[in-house]
Amino acid sequence: MKTLVIIFLKDLLRNKMLGLMVLLVPLIFYPLIYWGITQFMLLRTAFSENTVITVKYHSETSEFGDLKDSLSAINNLIIEPGFFKQADTDNIYLTVRSQQGLPYFEVYVDSSNSSLLSMSAQIEKSLSKYYRSSVDRIVKENDYTPEYFQVYNIEMNDTEGDESVVVILKILSLLVPLFSIMSILGSCVAASVELASGHSEDKTSETTLTLPVERKVIMISKFISVSIYGILAGSLNFIFLTVFMMQIFRSFMGIIDQGIEGIGWSKIISFNTLFFSFVSLCLTAFFISLIFVTAAGFASKRKEGSVLVSPFMAAVTYIPLVIVIPALEPGILISAVPVLNVAFAMKLIISGDINTLFIIQTAIFSFLWTFTAYRYILPFLLDEEVLMGYSDTSLAKKIKGKLFKWKLK
Amino acid sequence: METKVKIENLSKHFSDPQRGLVKAVDNVSLEAFSGEIFGLLGPNGAGKTTTLRMMATLMRPDSGSISIAGYDTVSEPQKVRRSIGYLSSTTALYPRLSPREIISYFAQLNDYPSTELVTRVEKLISHFGIQDYADTYSEKLSTGMKQLTSIARTVVHDPPVLILDEPSTGLDVIVAQKIHHHIFELKNEGKTIIFSSHNMGEVEKLCDRIGIINKGKLLAAGTPDELREISKKHYMEDVFVFFVREYEKEIGYEKKEAACI
Repeated sequence: MKTLVIIFLKDLLRNKMLGLMVLLVPLIFYPLIYWGITQFMLLRTAFSENTVITVKYHSETSEFGDLKDSLSAINNLIIEPGFFKQADTDNIYLTVRSQQGLPYFEVYVDSSNSSLLSMSAQIEKSLSKYYRSSVDRIVKENDYTPEYFQVYNIEMNDTEGDESVVVILKILSLLVPLFSIMSILGSCVAASVELASGHSEDKTSETTLTLPVERKVIMISKFISVSIYGILAGSLNFIFLTVFMMQIFRSFMGIIDQGIEGIGWSKIISFNTLFFSFVSLCLTAFFISLIFVTAAGFASKRKEGSVLVSPFMAAVTYIPLVIVIPALEPGILISAVPVLNVAFAMKLIISGDINTLFIIQTAIFSFLWTFTAYRYILPFLLDEEVLMGYSDTSLAKKIKGKLFKWKLK
Repeated sequence: METKVKIENLSKHFSDPQRGLVKAVDNVSLEAFSGEIFGLLGPNGAGKTTTLRMMATLMRPDSGSISIAGYDTVSEPQKVRRSIGYLSSTTALYPRLSPREIISYFAQLNDYPSTELVTRVEKLISHFGIQDYADTYSEKLSTGMKQLTSIARTVVHDPPVLILDEPSTGLDVIVAQKIHHHIFELKNEGKTIIFSSHNMGEVEKLCDRIGIINKGKLLAAGTPDELREISKKHYMEDVFVFFVREYEKEIGYEKKEAACI
């Protein structure tokens, strides 16, 4: 089996046209992703700018009474009395106290709310302006040296977490599985057509089948080769896409979410995420190769093979992935559908939502599907001589025979 | 001489939506011995390739049996595969593998002893004169070089029976002669060679015995001289036409008889 897999993989990996097709996925989709995220960010900024935010204001001193006037100059900001007790996702809290005649500000903001975060940046600007004017006043009144008053007295408190990470995880968890699996789909389709229909067309399958190697071994070698090719393409896409997205977010976050710095890799890509993603990619590649090699095996020419795999590509995988993954919540129905369940599990894992029940269900169904494939589909494929791409398989014979009888009638 | 190939009452049918049930091979029986080249001579669509494919275990016969090196193709296909080298009608090489890789991998797949593998591969590369192209992808080779590589791959495990489907079709005279030379060498090594062609001159030159096949029927089998004597014709082309005409007369007679009934 090892020798066959090496032959098939070498032939696939050296195929420049096939490589180009696999590369087309990132070449077409990455600019689209960039465009999509730009639009998302712009919309998000516009939305944040138009939302009315309440600041709960509490002053421990009677000084700085004019601070409220200074803050009320900010658009869409309402100032109400109140002080910070516990984390709140709807309001910003501002506490002011006096430190040697100068204002000291404590700001509490939930960074997972992008509107609050955007408003807090404006409040921070206003507070720093007010602080500087207070410094100027004290310096003037007491004839102090201005250099002693460079300390910035604003304490920003995040009551939730690193908003950048939250947003990135949400988008990564949606796009990375989707595009990685689409990349596996694209590469597995191309590789399946090449290994099944292509080998029939070139007659290389004939010479392979006259070797003293069991047909089951040849068939499994084809599945493994297509799976490895798909995993390679999927993994490359996974890595490039993650790096690409991180770079986009780095550049955008610096502009939009001022004050939030340091998007750490470790917060997004952990060993667990990588490990489970890799396992998911492997499972996806295996099921996809099973579907596509089988479909392409019934064709004896590449063109016919491409036609045969297209409906499977659209109906079995592409449409559910595109429609269902962004929308649904995990459930037993999703966990029962091969490819879709694994993609969904990967989405959950990347977003940090370890839904143990769903992952167990997915593992059980994946095992059941693998068993079914080995126990029932493989013997059928061997019996039908699908590998050969011959049109005289018994299934093809039955169909042709029925057509013939119908024609005679 | 030892019987290496024995075909008895072999038949294979295909269903065709336009033509109905097509008899690709119809009750064919023949024998081939060690150290013999047996040629299947017939036009395109005569049933040569289907017969060879069934011998190579690529297809199952509808009826009849094939025994190769004493093994039945249906009940003992793996043993048959170990005993044959099959050359298909196209060169059938993996396009992005070099001749060295192809020959080496096929030796491994045929369980050739790993200790002697490199020596065997180098010997064949040198013997078939493909040293200069041994590391070039086969898709970049000329048809002749591809065919020489294909033959080297077919014989790499030193099988006793070789099944060659039109090995020199589409080749220039020089390469075709080289291939003929190699086929003679293999015969002299004691191998049984089943060879198909629609080139009368080639079959006459190479084969010890010839089977004339048309529309799935084996019309005659024997040495070139025996066939000449039966047909009273000198040139193989005329011999072939004679047997085909005789068969058509027979069929015509049967059809007329059937029409009368």
